Amino acid sequence: MKELEKQLDRIMQRINIDLRELDCDVSPFIKNLVPLNQMVKFYAFYGITPHHPLDFVFRHSSLAGSYFLGKIRTRNSILYKSDIRGDELKHRGDVFRYQNFEIPINRDEGIDIEDSFLVKTLVHNFSHDPETLEKFFIRDTVSSHYANIHGSPTDGCFLGPFATIDLTTMRDCVIGTFSYVQAGEISHLNVGSGTVWVRDPGEFNFLYRHPLSNLTPYINFGVGMPPQGLFIDFVEDRKADFQRVFDVVKLDTPVLVPHNASLDRYAVIKPKTRICENVLVAQRAYLQNAWLGIGANAQENCYIINSRLEGYNVTAHGAKIIEADLGKNIFVGFNSFLQGRSKSRLAIGDECIIMPHTIIDIRKPLTIPPGHLVWGLITDSADLNLNSMALKNFSKIDGGLVHGNMSFEGHGASFVSAFRDRIHHILEANGAFFNGTDNRGHAQKNQNISFNTIQPYTDGELKGLFPTIIIQP
Amino acid sequence: MSDFCVKELMVPLSEYATVPEGSTLFDAVLALEKAQEEFDHTKYRHRAVLILDKSDQVIGKLSQLDVLNALEPKDRDLGEFNELRQYGFSSKFVRNVRKQRRLQETPLRDICSKAAKLKVEDFMQAPSEGEFIDQEASLEIAVLQLVMGHHFSLLVTHGKKIVGILRLTDVFAAVFHTMKECESNLS
Repeated sequence: MKELEKQLDRIMQRINIDLRELDCDVSPFIKNLVPLNQMVKFYAFYGITPHHPLDFVFRHSSLAGSYFLGKIRTRNSILYKSDIRGDELKHRGDVFRYQNFEIPINRDEGIDIEDSFLVKTLVHNFSHDPETLEKFFIRDTVSSHYANIHGSPTDGCFLGPFATIDLTTMRDCVIGTFSYVQAGEISHLNVGSGTVWVRDPGEFNFLYRHPLSNLTPYINFGVGMPPQGLFIDFVEDRKADFQRVFDVVKLDTPVLVPHNASLDRYAVIKPKTRICENVLVAQRAYLQNAWLGIGANAQENCYIINSRLEGYNVTAHGAKIIEADLGKNIFVGFNSFLQGRSKSRLAIGDECIIMPHTIIDIRKPLTIPPGHLVWGLITDSADLNLNSMALKNFSKIDGGLVHGNMSFEGHGASFVSAFRDRIHHILEANGAFFNGTDNRGHAQKNQNISFNTIQPYTDGELKGLFPTIIIQP
Repeated sequence: MSDFCVKELMVPLSEYATVPEGSTLFDAVLALEKAQEEFDHTKYRHRAVLILDKSDQVIGKLSQLDVLNALEPKDRDLGEFNELRQYGFSSKFVRNVRKQRRLQETPLRDICSKAAKLKVEDFMQAPSEGEFIDQEASLEIAVLQLVMGHHFSLLVTHGKKIVGILRLTDVFAAVFHTMKECESNLS
């Protein structure tokens, strides 16, 4: 295991050099993130479909429990139970529009991971950076449990647990625990824990900061220990269910899946679950007594329990919905945690947007009226009043607004329309609007996916590392 | 430029407002008032108080702005406003938030009462390298140092000792005087 230890030290050193201007030593946080002996316990696996490129090159890397789809390179990296999902990468011949430019894509885009350590991290979408359209790079980067790197090339960065970087090129930054950033391009920035920041320069700037004392019971991350809190307990409590789907080679589909819907074989499906047409259920999703109406989706690390989603619902990566009834066209953002209780259910009206990294944790029934924007931490109706606004009112903001811990500057209408456009695009990409011939998306393309597994050295100097593997058609 | 030298323009330390370290802001304001009463009333008013250590060496300068700064909310609020800037909010937005916050806060009378008890060391500015000038230096050098460092005054030295303070207003008066002389010679 010496090589693997050397590799981890090297990654830590590189990232500390990158973060030196922020006076940030991440070594104590990284050292015990995952015991390295875990790296021999799990196979890695990759998907084969006729709809996505099959192009993998793994060199000097540890890939334990990780999943790969599309065109992916890894070098000198450690990936632990991470999903590197390249089903939205650009293809050769595509045209990327940026400002007034129409930029032709000359070769298939690939995800390129080098000198990085990703723990239970999701990598998805494509590079939105016009300077690096064919290479979605992740270099000198460490990400902790349940982080999302979504359409965001990164270099020299540290992401805390449940952090999300979305559609943003990032250099030499720290993204704190449970922080969400969507800001186009950032560098040399230390984003504090519990920050939700969405910025389009010249158009809008949205900032919410979770009060840290309120956040601690849900998720906290200190030196020399793995992340702790309710979020971690929640997923750990359901870990055994995933163990089964990863251990068993042949699994029967536990529910009826319509011909135009997709249920990944690495999702956990518990009893009383219903999957309607054009639904997409990704790997590592968890459904229990869940009703997924037409065109709804459940992405990686989503948990939908004792809940009903009426249709065209986006449940973004890592979102959890428990004891809740959701109307139609509702967006639940990355890593949101919506928890009703059996005798105090949560009801969310049509067309609501639940901002990424929102926590709703109620002990009395709560109804969110249709067409609302919701953010922050909500435990009762008073919190809801402080942390939500009707979308039609939000659209009227022109200038600035401070509402509780939320600050907004710019045009509310641009903000709302940017979110609506994106939700529509996600539904489209997921195949929610498939009509039998047109609008084919992931729900249809990912149906006949087959999986192969690959294994690491189990002993010797290279223990935990995978041999160099090149997989092509 | 002129024949003025610094020692002709400076206010001697003995005539300037000073307080020992450990004094409160209220002590400093009283010292300023007293020094002003004893000072030549035809001249501009003093605008700062010098802070002296136990051996009467100047360790800092407390300006009117420093005193007003002491009234501003600290720590949490300041950190919050800096964060807003870090996250790309405009200066105008941050200013408006500060104004709103201020209107919701404690009345000025209460803030003043609290601030009066604060220690001068927490708000004074320690003199920087370019803030010292020799008493024999010319007006030209004094102007250069004031302009380069954006200072409102310079500490005047004789050897290692601070002997006075050269105020922007006195330098300006000397420059103005020289200008008038030049113009009248031309006409």
